[in-house]
Amino acid sequence: MGLDLSGKQYRKVPYEEKEALLEEVKEDLRFGDYMYGCYDCGICVAACPSARFYDFSPRKIAQSVAREDVDLFYVFLNDSVWDCSQCFSCDRCPRQNSPGGLITLMREVAVKHGLASAQEALEGYGRVVYKIMSTGTQVSPDMLQANAFPDWGPHVKDIAENLDVWRKALPPETLHTTEASWKVDEKTLIELYLIWHATGVMDMIKEVDEGLFMILQDVMEERLEDAGYDVTFD
Amino acid sequence: MSDRPILIIGGGPAGLEAARGIADIGFKAVLVEKEGILGGTPVHSSYAALTPDFRPAKEAMAEMAAAVTNNPGVDVRLNSTVTAATGSLGNFEVTLNTADQGEEKISVGAAILATGFQHFDPGRETQQYGYYEFDDVITLVDLEKMLSAGNVVRPSNGEPPKRLCFIQCVGSRDRQIGNEYCSKVCCGVAAKESIEVRKLVPECKVFIFYIDMRMYGYWENEIYWPSQEKYNVNYVKGIATEVIKKGDRLLVRGEDTTMGRPMEVPMDIVVLSVGMEPSKGTIEMGNLFGADLNKYKFIETVGGAINTVATTVEGVFACGAATGPADIEDSISSGSAAAMKAIGALRRAVTT
Repeated sequence: MGLDLSGKQYRKVPYEEKEALLEEVKEDLRFGDYMYGCYDCGICVAACPSARFYDFSPRKIAQSVAREDVDLFYVFLNDSVWDCSQCFSCDRCPRQNSPGGLITLMREVAVKHGLASAQEALEGYGRVVYKIMSTGTQVSPDMLQANAFPDWGPHVKDIAENLDVWRKALPPETLHTTEASWKVDEKTLIELYLIWHATGVMDMIKEVDEGLFMILQDVMEERLEDAGYDVTFD
Repeated sequence: MSDRPILIIGGGPAGLEAARGIADIGFKAVLVEKEGILGGTPVHSSYAALTPDFRPAKEAMAEMAAAVTNNPGVDVRLNSTVTAATGSLGNFEVTLNTADQGEEKISVGAAILATGFQHFDPGRETQQYGYYEFDDVITLVDLEKMLSAGNVVRPSNGEPPKRLCFIQCVGSRDRQIGNEYCSKVCCGVAAKESIEVRKLVPECKVFIFYIDMRMYGYWENEIYWPSQEKYNVNYVKGIATEVIKKGDRLLVRGEDTTMGRPMEVPMDIVVLSVGMEPSKGTIEMGNLFGADLNKYKFIETVGGAINTVATTVEGVFACGAATGPADIEDSISSGSAAAMKAIGALRRAVTT
């Protein structure tokens, strides 16, 4: 089913509430570099991989913001921004807009305000977020399970069974680990935790996934305390 | 060398530049203007600022007029019309009729028709946008007058508008109305006026409903982009089908093709971006000199792309919006071109 642009589905959300979210996007320091003006040429949609699979249009999203169409913006904020793969192919815009960048800002606002649609969109990513934020590295080898990513093919099962051995066969010693992509230096990890604390990333996590926040809180507070930092997340 | 002057009919941007050019080169010009003041449509229709440079229209036209009124090479005849013309290149006999002074016959070597255009009357062919029905439906020209006075308000109640829109291509690009051509300037003028409205009434939202925005050359970055990027003017692709009254506001119906859905939006003022048609003077003078008119009744030029001012009559030239839609820059350029071609033709006629 196509995206409903009528805004009927959000009629009960007060206009002022939607308007405040649009203002928040526009007030972001990056906004001026991401959104100039749009003349509807469609190059962003033409370049967009997501547009081939979903009823998704970076052009319409950019237009809704350029026009300051509050109701339409709110529809896209909820029902469209998560269809973007953030590949930034749309950056070829002749007006030098960045629809992808604009979507980044919109996602941040959606997460910051704990919109139900954002929570739902991020639900499946709890494990990935946990990995990145606790270990400081991306998807780790031990996530490579045969049942987790069936589209990766049958050989994944063999690799998963002897993961430890495979990893030890890799020359760099920093890769001789299975819980993280590579061994992260303790100091680096501490700094990452402090950055996430100071920049409000943990507050965003709390808005969308309270359970995940509590798990991360335990891990981070303990490690920070061991390193001599008196930091609490709440 | 011929001592007969070159006749220029029309004291707008094109005619003023033609007259100045002729005098600058050392020939004599007779400039005939039917109104009592020089400057043409920008002055008579109270344009506020020129497109695209925002220079006050009155000031710019006064500068052009001063260049001919204080010029010994130009004989300016105000309140005058041409009522008869006979002869050929090198020797046209022309009858001038000046208010309160009567008729006078003069001999001229060549003639330049700079008789301009008139704004399309949105009530002429169709009442679809209710120009004569609703006070708050106005034209680009009406808005220019308001901008000149520095007071943009709803004609119906004198209050500043909260939402104002332009509808493009009214009376242009329309087979049913008969004007199939693009009037060239309305996109730029609408963009310019949208900026002026946003400056004057900052709390007013401004929309432009269009088919294509034709912002050629530097108009793109001089008026189009700034209107969007600096003044938040909203461009919506799609032309309104009708304007109706709803309460004390107007309701504009159309298709928002950008979003692919029908559109019904309330407005306080609807500005019709009216295009250009040949002025009465253009049709009359074309006929008087025997110069062919094209299917839209502008004066036909016969030189294609490499001669934009030659008409079907040798020794009779046309410039500015007498030959078709033109902005002020183009009108002035073609005024210069007509001056040059007229002098060239006259010199060749006299020396051979």
